[in-house]
Amino acid sequence: MTEHSDTGSVFSSRKFTDFATVSEALAAKEIGASFILAPLAMNLVDKGLPVKVVYLGHRDGTAIVVRKNGDIHDFRDLAGKTVAIPMRYSNQNILLHKMMKERGMPYDSMNIIELPPPEHPTALAEGSIDAYIVGEPFCAKAELDGSGRILAFTKDIWPEFISCVLVVRQDLIDERRDLVQELVDGIARSGKWLDEDPAHRLDAAEVAGKNYYFQSPELLAYVLSRPLDRVKYTHLAPLKDDFDEIMELAVEIGVLPRRVEFGQYADTSFVRTDGQEPWALDRLPTGPAAEAVR
Amino acid sequence: MKFKVIVGSLVWLALITLAHIQLNVGWDRLASSARVMFGTERPRLIVGFLPVT
Repeated sequence: MTEHSDTGSVFSSRKFTDFATVSEALAAKEIGASFILAPLAMNLVDKGLPVKVVYLGHRDGTAIVVRKNGDIHDFRDLAGKTVAIPMRYSNQNILLHKMMKERGMPYDSMNIIELPPPEHPTALAEGSIDAYIVGEPFCAKAELDGSGRILAFTKDIWPEFISCVLVVRQDLIDERRDLVQELVDGIARSGKWLDEDPAHRLDAAEVAGKNYYFQSPELLAYVLSRPLDRVKYTHLAPLKDDFDEIMELAVEIGVLPRRVEFGQYADTSFVRTDGQEPWALDRLPTGPAAEAVR
Repeated sequence: MKFKVIVGSLVWLALITLAHIQLNVGWDRLASSARVMFGTERPRLIVGFLPVT
């Protein structure tokens, strides 16, 4: 995220290592917006935190990872195994239950544990878990380390999978609508730029790896290109049908205590439809890889 | 007597305002808001994230 936008508004990012702390920072108004897990956003609203989902962070970008030379080759093989998820209030948790349900497996078929995302690859390598499901780059990390193997990408088992969403505090929506719109436009514009040319993804890997993720650019380049649709940055409007499906499953498995209406936790008024975008893509900064293909 | 009531009310108002800023708002945030209001600082939006997609 850039410090200054085209209009001079200042956006800055703050890195967190777990979702519980992000939630506290939102409640304390230390931050005005954040990318958090979709079911966590629903739960925070249910608990009374005044935030709204205004956009998605990405689509797909999650995978089930197993030990490289292990004996797990099918989802059913996870029965009786220990599987890590990033958080109880994650769509990764819901996906595991969705798949168990579709295959007629009891919900207690596997031992599901919560682990912060950065700890997943290490726990798999050490043998304290048998598999994990989490967002990138922690799936690719185990692949590149040689300890893990992808059992399934979400793009193949729940296409257009939603993991993280952008939530904004209600007071900011009420008082600084222009700033929120600028943020959403910036994310939409960046996503369009990323998905329109593979070379742009390599440039983004370089910048994000060094300045934001503090991960090797090679790892992020792998995530963004092997395969190209491993994670997608377009179609980021929060759609009611998608969220209703998550909500139904979350309530069924007890992740959420009750249904929350879409309008209570989502505000789609910042989404621009085709033709409404005020930006020009050629105004975006370019890097060496983008230049090389021009 | 009237003077004492007015002064007492103003002191109470000042103290309760200071306490509110100290406990609920924060001096840094107030100063930043004031700078934005007077045009010496651009509006700032802090966005949280985890280094995971």
